[in-house]
Amino acid sequence: MADAPLSLKHKLWNPEARLAYILLLPAVAVLLAFMFYPIAYVLLMAFFKTNKLSQFTGFAGLQNFVNEMTNPEFWEITGRSMIWTVLAVATKTFFGMVIALVLNVNYRGRKIARMLFIIPWASAVPISSMIWRWVYHPEYGLLNYTLKATGLWPTPPTWLGYPIPAFTATIWVDIWIGIPFMALVFLAGMQAISEDLYESADLDGVNWFQKFFYITLPGIRHIVLIATLLSSLWTFNDFNTIYILTRGGPAGATDILITFIYKTAFEWLKFSRAAVMAFVTFIILTVLSIIYARVYFKQERTG
Amino acid sequence: MKRQNREKIPAIVLTIVLLLFLLFPFFAMISTMLKSSTEVYASPPTWIPKDIHLGNFITVWTEFELFIYFKSSIIIAVGATIFNTLLTVPAAYAVARLRFIGRGLILYLFLVIQMFSPVIVIISLFKIMVGLNLLDTYFSLIIANTVFTIAFTIWMMNGYFRSIPMEIEEAALIDGCSRVQTITRIMIPIAVPGLVTAMIYTFIYAWNEFLFGLSFIQSKPKMPLVLGLYNFVGRWSTQWELLTMAAFLAIIPVLVLFYLIERRLVAGLAGGAVKE
Repeated sequence: MADAPLSLKHKLWNPEARLAYILLLPAVAVLLAFMFYPIAYVLLMAFFKTNKLSQFTGFAGLQNFVNEMTNPEFWEITGRSMIWTVLAVATKTFFGMVIALVLNVNYRGRKIARMLFIIPWASAVPISSMIWRWVYHPEYGLLNYTLKATGLWPTPPTWLGYPIPAFTATIWVDIWIGIPFMALVFLAGMQAISEDLYESADLDGVNWFQKFFYITLPGIRHIVLIATLLSSLWTFNDFNTIYILTRGGPAGATDILITFIYKTAFEWLKFSRAAVMAFVTFIILTVLSIIYARVYFKQERTG
Repeated sequence: MKRQNREKIPAIVLTIVLLLFLLFPFFAMISTMLKSSTEVYASPPTWIPKDIHLGNFITVWTEFELFIYFKSSIIIAVGATIFNTLLTVPAAYAVARLRFIGRGLILYLFLVIQMFSPVIVIISLFKIMVGLNLLDTYFSLIIANTVFTIAFTIWMMNGYFRSIPMEIEEAALIDGCSRVQTITRIMIPIAVPGLVTAMIYTFIYAWNEFLFGLSFIQSKPKMPLVLGLYNFVGRWSTQWELLTMAAFLAIIPVLVLFYLIERRLVAGLAGGAVKE
């Protein structure tokens, strides 16, 4: 009884724990200084007034939040971030599934096909975005030329010049980058499904769609969940594609929270406003991350 | 295997159609980088250059001074990789092998923070870099890239260390190795595949990084490749034949590295559900 407090001290401070603290110290110190402190600072900034040099000039309480919540622009951008994420992730999931199904067929040359399918993910996102900007060029770009020459679309739009085409063109680049990850993860899941299941289904005369919905899809259910969660986080965070293709334009048609925060801070020098939006973004990302972590750990235990 | 015979032809056809569709910008890049400057701005454009213009390969190194940006990117990416590894290996060993209070919480935290967007911290991080007098230095990007890769690399190395049987380490401890010796002589050599994956991941992340470069770097000699290319696009009339050539050269190294780690990366991200 008497040594109960002693054993707690022992739990916290024994040679093994001591070594763990020492080994963790450098990484944790760097994260505290350059990740946690900056996050805390920006969350705090949301409650203060700031000048153009981002210095605190007075306590604002919830006023910055009230300003944002009553600003239609804020809701428009938050709404667009959601639409952007849901639309992009759904399309990535669809294409990823098609490619995984195709690569799951054992034909000659599928290893090379697999490597080629990875290219959009393996390339640097900012550089791909620059290439896409050239591809979308209304006059000299090869996209519109090809659409016209093949007769697929005789009068294609000026992609990055008008709101709706610009949104479509930008979200497509984000989708394009995200498809390979989905395809690879789904494929890995499909390859873990036992071939016996398909063979007995064949004996029962089951058609392709039934096999897909009753064997393949249930078999990769968990993987689809974790991949879409991860993809949602990446999609929501996609700064590079939008900033390089349109900088959020034309007329704000492609701005999502992530790009808007950056522009509000570094172009318009409205730091409190940027901090409030960073606060909201932080909450959204934390919730999504925790869901991802929970699914991940659950899978580790059961899988 | 029989069931697949009927599916082979449609699968091959779909593969070709999808690849033509998805690799479209890649083909456009290769077509453009082989054109002369006049043909790039020809209307209508051409898919196959009238005369193959390999001179762009020389011009990007001489006029565009691509080597400046390559040098910066290599310094930043190698620096971040070294810094990251020095922090990752001890931390990952601690969470994988040692018992201490808060271990579960720390692991959980690492998994959550790897998803945070650099944009959230960029305002404060910019102020920190100003305060430390690190603006427009390689070191600012080395730190930023390390911080934003470390959670994932610790997480990944933790998995590798855990997969090494306890008995190997216990035997070394009984034979009189110290803990530190078991790490450097036993654990690290066995975990080399994981370590290489973590290092390549960091290298690629730093090589491709854009936001920190955009915010911290101002002078041309310090600019990493991605930023150098971006400033090139921003000009009034972009010389796309040079830009696509430079883009091609900038993508190739990471493409090769990516193929080396792609399977382990997918397994690390998707967790126990995906086997390597």
